[in-house]
Amino acid sequence: MTLRFEELAVGQAIPVSSRAVTREDVRAYADASGDRNPLHLDDEVARAAGFPGIIAHGMFTMGHLVSTLVDWVGDPDALRRIRVQFRAPVFVGETIVAGGTVRQLDPSDRTVVLDVWVSVERDGETEWPIRRSEAELRL
Amino acid sequence: MPLDVALQGRTYDEMPFVVEPERVRAFADAVSHRTGGVPPTFVTVAEHAAGVASVIADTELGLDFARVVHGEQEYEWHRSMRAGETLRVATTIESIRGRGAMEFLTLRTDLRDVDGALVATARSTLIVRGAS
Repeated sequence: MTLRFEELAVGQAIPVSSRAVTREDVRAYADASGDRNPLHLDDEVARAAGFPGIIAHGMFTMGHLVSTLVDWVGDPDALRRIRVQFRAPVFVGETIVAGGTVRQLDPSDRTVVLDVWVSVERDGETEWPIRRSEAELRL
Repeated sequence: MPLDVALQGRTYDEMPFVVEPERVRAFADAVSHRTGGVPPTFVTVAEHAAGVASVIADTELGLDFARVVHGEQEYEWHRSMRAGETLRVATTIESIRGRGAMEFLTLRTDLRDVDGALVATARSTLIVRGAS
């Protein structure tokens, strides 16, 4: 079912969606996307770069965010634009949580601008792999 | 060695990219895309296969992929991709900026259909760490 523009209000939060990130998930993303940067495949390379082990692709995390948006809207064609900043790495074994809030509604062309984010809990702190980012939909 | 700012504006040869149904399925599984059709972020596959591959192969640019992390990503969609179609993919070096030991390389990749109509535009900002 597709979301209706009239159902939305500024400040409304979209349902959050979480996903555990496994080593197999990162490898599957590398295979499917063709992004074979060794930071995502080789622990030694990742450690040499200062990480505890391989990190998930930023695009893997963004893919989860976009799937969360599309699940909420119900129609992938509604998505017009997205811009994200990758602000923290995601390590295997962590759980990423994607969410967003309606910032702006324009009834003249039925566009919706959302602030979107992805968070992760690490050592008792909340880190933001994606923050200060926005998506635009047309319904 | 720092990236050569004179390469700003360089556009790589347009390359064909087939939206292979099997690849679409594997990608949809990898990002838990559940609504059918081609996942919107499948754009990244074309971006890598055609655009980023050209950038990495550019010896004049001399980008060391092992020092690269992804800083920002933007997509603009004009229509959804269709499984089986062939797209034409062209990447341009939009900007090269330095800040301390980091450099920021922004690439724009346009995906067009066989009629030349824009399907999607991707803009990636790569952070090159530890450049001196």
